[in-house]
Amino acid sequence: MHKNSYVFFFAAVVTISCSILLAAAANLLRDRQQENIALDIRKNILASAELGSEEMTRQEVLGLYDKYIRSKVINLEGEEVSDKTVEQLDPRKDLNLLPLYYAEEDGEIMAYILPISGKGLWSTIYGYIALEKDLNTVMGITFYQHGETPGLGAEIDKEWFTSNFKGKKILSPEGDLVSITVIKGKVKELIPEDEAYHYVDGISGSTLTCKGLNIFIKNDLEIYKPFIDKIRNAGMEQ
Amino acid sequence: MAEGNTAAETKVQTKPKEKLFSKKNKRTLSDPLSDNNPITLQVLGICSALAVTVQVPTALVMSGAVVFVLTISNVAISLMRNKIPSKIRIIVELAVVATLVILVDQVLKAFLFDISKKLSVFVGLIITNCIILGRAEAFALQNKPWPSFLDGLGNALGYAIILLVVATGREILGSGSFFGFQLIPDSLYAAGYENMGLMVLSPGAFILLGLIIWGQRMISQKFEEN
Repeated sequence: MHKNSYVFFFAAVVTISCSILLAAAANLLRDRQQENIALDIRKNILASAELGSEEMTRQEVLGLYDKYIRSKVINLEGEEVSDKTVEQLDPRKDLNLLPLYYAEEDGEIMAYILPISGKGLWSTIYGYIALEKDLNTVMGITFYQHGETPGLGAEIDKEWFTSNFKGKKILSPEGDLVSITVIKGKVKELIPEDEAYHYVDGISGSTLTCKGLNIFIKNDLEIYKPFIDKIRNAGMEQ
Repeated sequence: MAEGNTAAETKVQTKPKEKLFSKKNKRTLSDPLSDNNPITLQVLGICSALAVTVQVPTALVMSGAVVFVLTISNVAISLMRNKIPSKIRIIVELAVVATLVILVDQVLKAFLFDISKKLSVFVGLIITNCIILGRAEAFALQNKPWPSFLDGLGNALGYAIILLVVATGREILGSGSFFGFQLIPDSLYAAGYENMGLMVLSPGAFILLGLIIWGQRMISQKFEEN
C-alpha cells in the first residue's frame, strides 16, 4: 500500500505532465484551428446567400468570398460607419456598432447577410441569416457553431431544417417585424395559410433549442430593424 | 528462448526473453479482431459505433482516433503500472485517456476540420468508451508495455473493422455511395430504386450490428451460456 504523500505526489506529476502536453498542443495548433474556423465562417456566409457548396476547397471558398461578399459597419441607427471595418469590430467593446455583410454582383446587391447568435439549450449558437434585397424575404440561414445534442438540437445545422426558412418573410405587410418562429409540429397542420410565411416546422426532441432560436433570431433582427427600415424606405422613394 | 546476451538486456531481463511475436503475443493481437471482438462479443463501445457510421470517411477517422488513443493509453498505463497507487488508479487511467482524446480532438480540428465537425462530440466521448478504460484495467495494469501495445492495437482494430463494415453497409444502402462516390447508377434510380432511409438513422446501425453479431456467432459457434 502506498503512503498518502506518495498518492498526492503521483497525482500531481500526472496532472502536471498531462496539462503541459495539452497546453503545448493547443498552442502549436491554435493558428491552424483559427484559420479553419475563419474559413468555415466564410463558407457559412456564402452558404446563407446560396453561394457555393459543402464540398468547396479552401481556394474556392476564398475566391467566391472575395468575388461576391462585401462588408461594412453600421451603427444602431442603421447608418454606415466608415472609419471601421468588420474585422476591427470587438463585440465586447463596440456595443453600438454592427457588422453587416452583403453579396454583390456587378455592383448590384443580391443579399444582405446578418450575423445571428444566442443561447440554445446547452450552448451559444452562431449563424447567419441572409435576406433578399427587399430585406424581408429570407434567402437562407446557416448555423455554424453550437454544442447542441447530436441527433436532436444539433439538427438545426442540417439542410432539411435550414431549407425551411427559404422564402419566409420577417416583416408583416405593414412593415413591422414579426421574425420567424419555429413551431412545435408542422406548419401545414397548425398555422393558417395566410400566416404560414412567418413559421417553420419544428424538430421533434429539440423544442428548447428551437425556443432559443426564436428568441435570438427576433432579437438580432430587431437590432438591425433601423437599417432595414432605412433601406426599405429609400427603396420605396425611388 | 534464452537469447539476448547484450549487457543491457541481461541487466533488465531476469527471466528468459520472450520473442516479440511469440504465439501468446500474436493471440493478444488477433483475438480481439474476431473471437473476442470488443463490439460483437463484448458489445462494448456501440454508442459511437452507431453514431459515426452513417458514412465511411467519418467511421475511418473515428477508427484512427480510437487506434491512437487505445494503443498509446495501454502503453502509457503499462509503463506506469508499478507506480500507480491503486487508490487512484481509475482517475489516473482517465487522465491519461482524456489527455490523449483531447490531443486527437485538437489535431482533428486543425487538420480535418470538416470531419471533426461531423464527428462533433463523439471524439470527446472516446473518453467514456468502455473499450479503452476496460483494456487499461483488464490488461495494461497487469502486463508489460509490448503485450499491452498489441492488446490495445488488436482491440482498436477489432473496433475499427466492425465500424467500417457497418459504415460501408449503411453508406451503400442508405446513400447509394461508398466513400462519397456514387455507386448506384442513375439509371437504377430512374427505374424506381430508392435509398433506404432507415439505414441513415440509428436503427439501421442496430440492425446491421445485430446481423454481424449473429453471423459471427454462427461461424464461431460461441454462445453465451444460460
